[in-house]
Amino acid sequence: MKKKTFSPLLLVIPVIMFLFCATANVAPAKDTILIGQAVSLSGPNAIIHMAGGLPPQTLWVEGVNAKGGIYVKEYGKKLPIKWIQYDDKSDHGTLVRLIEKLILEDKVDFLLPPCSTSYLFAAAPVVNKHGYILLGAEGGAESLTELLKDLPYVFSVLNYSNTQIPLLADQFVAWGVKTVATTFLEDLHGVEYSNRALSEFAKRGIKTVMLKSHPLSNPDMSPILKAAKVTNADAFCSFSYPGENVLLTKQAIELGYNPKVFFGSVGPFALWFRDIFGAKTIEGLMGGGAWNAKTSPAAKDLYDGIIARFGEKGIDMWGNLYYWGALHFFEKAIEKAGTLDQKKVRDVMAKEKFQTPLGLTWFDENRNLAKECHPGEIGQWIKGQWEVILPNNKATAKPIFPKPPWPAPAPAKK
Amino acid sequence: MLVEILDIVVSGLLMGGIYSLIAVGFSLQYGVARVLNIAHGEFMMLGAFITWMLYNVFGVNPLFSLAICGPIILIIGFLLYRTLFTRLRTSSESIGAYEGSSMLASFGLLFIIQNVAILIWGTDIKGYSYLNFGVNLGGAIFAANRLVTLLFAVVIGAAFYLFLARTHLGKAIRAAAQDPATAGLMGVNINQVLALCFGLGALMASFGGTLISMCYPIQPTMGFQYTIIAIIVVVLGGLGSIVGSFIGGFVLGLVGSIVSYWQPGLSLTAYYLLFIVLLLAKPTGILGK
Repeated sequence: MKKKTFSPLLLVIPVIMFLFCATANVAPAKDTILIGQAVSLSGPNAIIHMAGGLPPQTLWVEGVNAKGGIYVKEYGKKLPIKWIQYDDKSDHGTLVRLIEKLILEDKVDFLLPPCSTSYLFAAAPVVNKHGYILLGAEGGAESLTELLKDLPYVFSVLNYSNTQIPLLADQFVAWGVKTVATTFLEDLHGVEYSNRALSEFAKRGIKTVMLKSHPLSNPDMSPILKAAKVTNADAFCSFSYPGENVLLTKQAIELGYNPKVFFGSVGPFALWFRDIFGAKTIEGLMGGGAWNAKTSPAAKDLYDGIIARFGEKGIDMWGNLYYWGALHFFEKAIEKAGTLDQKKVRDVMAKEKFQTPLGLTWFDENRNLAKECHPGEIGQWIKGQWEVILPNNKATAKPIFPKPPWPAPAPAKK
Repeated sequence: MLVEILDIVVSGLLMGGIYSLIAVGFSLQYGVARVLNIAHGEFMMLGAFITWMLYNVFGVNPLFSLAICGPIILIIGFLLYRTLFTRLRTSSESIGAYEGSSMLASFGLLFIIQNVAILIWGTDIKGYSYLNFGVNLGGAIFAANRLVTLLFAVVIGAAFYLFLARTHLGKAIRAAAQDPATAGLMGVNINQVLALCFGLGALMASFGGTLISMCYPIQPTMGFQYTIIAIIVVVLGGLGSIVGSFIGGFVLGLVGSIVSYWQPGLSLTAYYLLFIVLLLAKPTGILGK
């Protein structure tokens, strides 16, 4: 009797085991790639995101879905993107909570980044802890590079002081600039840029004759400008944010302060910056960045696409192309990995090179976008166009030096 | 040295003029209407953006915009008080409860106004050039638009003081500030007067906004920083004192200018330090009782 019962079991068990193993090797059915993003949609930080990351991110998701999705071999088909966005309300604590919600509750497949440097700092350790990839957008800092060494899932996209300032200093030498007056914002951006500038200028024999900080939303820049004017420095550099750089430019015009170089790190790259003052007024004004529609055919496609979808307010001629290229890199990495597994996609991103709107694109050993892929580092307003002037091999126009005097009614009246 | 002192003093007065206008409005809303209006800076922002729009779209002189923006914002403020804050006041058990609930309501108002502004005007920074040349005063150079701003701030402040001191409506407002219940018994229509006070506070903020737009870049999120400054000025001048707020604005501007001359990075820090010192040493402010 016992023998009779045992024999069918011998047959059934291997069949069950075979079925179990077979199903275990096939990924469960999936119709979309769920991408989550906690980002500033309201509050002060939203201003940066609306013209920075949002336009290329939107165009990328729409573009991927228009062609049916990203092909994922593991599922044997193209999967369109479903994009969930939560508003961090320009608050770091809210950002961290929302990222954990996206990972733990919504169980998203991938994440898109928050906006600006300090938010990247806040998000990076949390995302890395959960083994999720964080492909950066707005923001970047030399100190973030240090942090990246211990965060293998975090990739930094945007350029910053370490690639921009040495080129700016070299150009100053080429122009014969001997003295610089500098002001900087009292935050990570301002401190890192001004420190880098101090050292790069000093290495090349350029003397920093004024160094004054200012707080965010400083109500009056005229004391700084008047102090800079007294030094008669060849160049004036402001390592600060858009609002501060607009105020500095406005008050420099009003006070008739006309150095040979007027440089603002963040802000001048925007079309609204030109529209506030007029193209003639800001002729020769320089800033961080940069790319434009002349950079490449792919850059022109992006420029036209943003104008058509968002209007001029969506154009950021510093970061848009960086983020756009990075997203295409990400898409190709998923296709190459053939899976939505974070570790496998991350490994492809860390090792491979892909053709993107930035050209051949890859990340260096610290998972910073390789500097060879940067479309431009420094820009200048020339005849109403934001032109790439540095590095020389990416320049779209010959730089102007010295900057023409402000054409506004500058002479002081008694 | 004399030129430097002149530079510091005039720069301080130029900043102070705008601070004074905004603070007078805030003081009126809190001192009389009992609303600690966290959204006060948003009315200033609205004034700035309407002025910018009128200048860029219709070419309207910003100084003329004072006469357009002011009444619009006054009406908005008046209606807001009549619909929102009057209801909160009449349904509150005590003045303390009303102050708490009205402050929370004004927080909500801040986000609503700010987001409506973002929807209308977008998030980018805006500005225009008006009287953007330097004027030499005794060797120190100042922007012409900022000198005009100071002139208008003083004129508006003085006119408002005369309105409060010399007119029947002004007396009704002062009576409502001192004792609303008794003022009501004496025939003052308290609901209307309090709503008017709130509207006038918004009007002063919008005047400040118009003048600010002539000198500074503007953006929809700019309001809150000016609300904070208004709170500091009102504490400095004395809670509930309109004249104190007006003087306090100039004092704060001077403090900012002196510190900026020495180290611009500490100008805002100086404001907050002054605020804390005042709260500890003289919480009644310059002219408070």
